[in-house]
This record gives sequence, C-alpha cells and structure tokens, in this order.
Amino acid sequence: MDRFLALGQDMALLWGKYWPSYLGGMGSTILLAVVATVIGCVIGLACGILNTIPYTSYDPAPKRFVLKLVRILVRIYVEVFRGTPMVLQAVFIYYGLPYFSNNTMRFDNIWVAAILIVSINTGAYMAESVRGGIVSIDPGQTEGAKAIGMNHFQTMTSVILPQAFRNILPQIGNNFIINIKDTSVMFIISFTEFFAFHRYITGVNNMYFPSAAIEMIGYLIMTLAASFLLRLLEKVLDGADNYELVQSDQLTMAAGTYSHPDRGTPFDERSKEERERIKQQLKFGRNRGDR
Amino acid sequence: MNDTILEIRHLSKSFGRHEVLRDIDFSVRPGDVTSIIGASGSGKSTLLRCINLLETPTSGEILFHGESITGGKLNANTYRSKVGMVFQSFNLFNNMTVLQNCMVGQTKVLKKSPQEAKENAMKYLRQVGMEPYIKAKPRQISGGQKQRVAIARALAMEPEVLLFDEPTSALDPEMVGEVLSVMRDLAQNGMTMLVVTHEMAFARDVSNHVVFMADGVICEEGEPKALFADPQNQRTREFLSRFRNQ
Repeated sequence: MDRFLALGQDMALLWGKYWPSYLGGMGSTILLAVVATVIGCVIGLACGILNTIPYTSYDPAPKRFVLKLVRILVRIYVEVFRGTPMVLQAVFIYYGLPYFSNNTMRFDNIWVAAILIVSINTGAYMAESVRGGIVSIDPGQTEGAKAIGMNHFQTMTSVILPQAFRNILPQIGNNFIINIKDTSVMFIISFTEFFAFHRYITGVNNMYFPSAAIEMIGYLIMTLAASFLLRLLEKVLDGADNYELVQSDQLTMAAGTYSHPDRGTPFDERSKEERERIKQQLKFGRNRGDR
Repeated sequence: MNDTILEIRHLSKSFGRHEVLRDIDFSVRPGDVTSIIGASGSGKSTLLRCINLLETPTSGEILFHGESITGGKLNANTYRSKVGMVFQSFNLFNNMTVLQNCMVGQTKVLKKSPQEAKENAMKYLRQVGMEPYIKAKPRQISGGQKQRVAIARALAMEPEVLLFDEPTSALDPEMVGEVLSVMRDLAQNGMTMLVVTHEMAFARDVSNHVVFMADGVICEEGEPKALFADPQNQRTREFLSRFRNQ
C-alpha cells in the first residue's frame, strides 16, 4: 500500500513538473496517428480499386498484362510492409535513403518522415482490409452499377467503397488505435512524441515507474477517446432509422379529387367528364363502383 | 441499317466444360415485348446476362443496331447505358436513397446536371408510383417497392431496350401484381422489353413474342397465342401443360 501511495506522490510530482511536455507529446502522438491513418486509408482504398479492375478475354493483351502487373506490385507492397517491423522500415527510409542516394534524397522535416513511414505501413494493412470489405459487398451491387453503364472507377467510388468503408470502419478503428501506440517506435528517428518524453524524463530523474504509469494512463485515455469517437462515426454513417414520406407536389391529390380552375372538378355539372358520364348512365344505367 | 435493335447470332456460353447456351439465334425489333420462358436452369438468365455483357459469351455475336458489341470495339459501358436491366434481387444501391438510386446513373454516366437528373428521376418514380418514398433507403421498403424503384432507375437512363431478369421471382404473390402492372404499362407505352419470366399469364397476354428455352437451346418461338394454344415442340407442350391445366 505504501508503495502505491509513493507511486501516486511521484506521479503527481512528475506531472506537476513536466505536464506541458506530457501534453505536448500526446498532441504529437495523436496528430501523427490521425494523419497517418487517414493517408493510410487513402492508400488502402486506392490499392483496393487497383486490385479489382476487371478484365475479360476481349481486352487486348497489353491491357491485361498491365493489370496483372499492377496486382502483383500491390501484392508485393502489402506483403513487404505488413511483414516487416515498422522500426526497421523507419531506419531504412529515414537513414537508408540518404545513405544509398548520397544525400540526394533526405528528409529535412522529421514530421514528413514520420508521417510517410506510418502511412505506408498503415496503407499495407488497410489494403487488405479494403479488399476484404470489397469482397463482402454483394456482387449484385456491382452488377447493378455496371448495368446502368458505370465504369469501374465510378462503380467503386459511388457504390462499392461507401458500403465497404462502413463495413471496414471497425478495422480502421483498430489501425488507428494501433497507430496511437505504435508511433512510439518513431523514437528511432528521434521523433518526439508521448513515449519519447517518457524516455527523456526518466533519463533525467530516474523515476521510471511513476512516469511509465502516467504513460499508461495517457495512452489509455487516448485510445478510449478514439474508440468512442469511432463508435459515434459508425452511428452517424448508419443514418436515421426513419424516413418521411414526401408529397413533393401539394397540388397532386388522390385520384378523382383534383380541381382545375378552368375545367372544374370531374363532379362538376359543367365538366366534359360529367356530361359524358350522364350520357353513359342514361344509356347503360349506373356503373358499379361509381360515386 | 436494319430495323432490329438487338440481334443475337450463334451465341454460346460455357462455364468450364458445362455448356449453358448453345447456338442461340434471335432478334429484337423496336417495340417488341419478348418473353423468354422455360424451366429453371435452361439458360434463360445466362442469356440475358450475356446480352448485357455481365457474362462474356464463349462464342457468337451480339449486334446492337447492326454493330457487334462482343468484339470489344464498342465500349461496353456506353452500350450498357442504352440497355437497361432489372434484376431478380433488385440490386438497388444500399448506400443511397430511392431518389439517389435513380439519379446516380444520369449524373455520373450521362453527365446530366443534378437538377435535370432529379426532374427526370421524379418523372419515372411517379410513373411507378414510388414518388412518396424518395427519401427512403432500400432496406426500408418492401420487395415490390424495391423492384419498382429498380425499374424507375433503369428507365431514368432512357434505354432503348429494357431487360428483365425474373423481376417477380423474389416477390410474394401480392407484390407480383404491382410490379407486373408497371411492366404492363411500359409495354403498352411501346417500350422494347426482353423479359425472362415464370409468369405465364404475363408472357401470354402482354408480350408479342415468346421464346421457349430448354437445356440451353431455343426449342420454340413465336406468337404467344399460337405458342400457348398449340405448342409444336414436345418439350414446350410438357412445360406448358402444367400452366394450362391450372
């Protein structure tokens, strides 16, 4: 019990002294995670569109070759970036590019480098999620779109992806939460986010567990807020359960009850219909169902 | 130039080694209402899907106004925008409202302005009696209503031919009536239609040409009255006997 009390005291001490650093770190972490997840989603959606371009035996050979090549490239991208640790990807992209290109390609801004690395990594995961999302949509939706003459891009952007997006939203949330936590490996390229401050602070004053506990609580708050917001987004996307009936033209009434300023109503003695009806009645008697 | 809209020549389709369609030959003239009847699995739907290029025919030709669409020369999407299709399972876009369903093809494919597309969509939705439901999503309306919206969506593209793939098979008997009456109105207004159906009364009374298919070939075709009253082919007689005894 004493130890917990001591931990609490140390935490309060640390927070009191370093709270601007902790909050700043959380800000960087969230900003990086949000931007990288959004860009990663765009990469994933683009891969999904490229991966599903259909081709038939009618298409000329070069077109079929290019489409097959595109699929293979997307596959390689997904397998490589999903199958290697992000720390090493960061090392290769941030330090490797300048080294192997004799400094012609290097990152002047640490933010650009961090966002690029996390986005590419997220994109690889998202590409697979998007593929799953597209597969899960009833093929009838594609056929319906094709039948009114939409091309592949139009079908994807206006019919399939909006529905697939809703289905993979939990996956996107997963990736977002993973990104919040996993951006901590960006310390390798000296990107200063939430976890980097923990390393810095413990280096200064040796209070490891109190700082780690603050980190724990901080990460938990960020991820809980993220899942809450994602649930909210899902609800918004699902839309209302109700709809209203629309009578767009108030002058359109149920059949037989209309009136026209020039011609009167069908029940008007002067109207053509009424005269015709009386004529018919005299000839054949009243019809059944006639009012 | 000739006066046929669609001409199908020696069309065959196989899935692997299974031959579904063999040497299909027939043509559709403007204003024709052609019913394709036959047992399930006889290749009716596959034929219709081949005509709309949703399936790639194995061999043979489909001519649209005398131009071959199967050689890959004519753009498949342009062709499809002129040939409407109504599906058994409706295939309305689930992420859009009824009105958006009828507008999206016009704005994206025909590049009409939203205003123009909306007016046009409302015209056809009114025709099928779905005007009050324009704000509803497909999951909120009944099967018959979905199918009527699907018909309005196809009509809004102002196609030259309308293909119906068993439009009433997924509906209960009460809803069949509302869809058939819409189709009957269309036929009377001179729409060129190609209808795969199990509704024999519709085939007999509304269409002016009936094609009977069995095992992937056309067994018999002709005037509905003659074909229903006095089928020449043995298989047609067997198939229709059930209907005529009802």
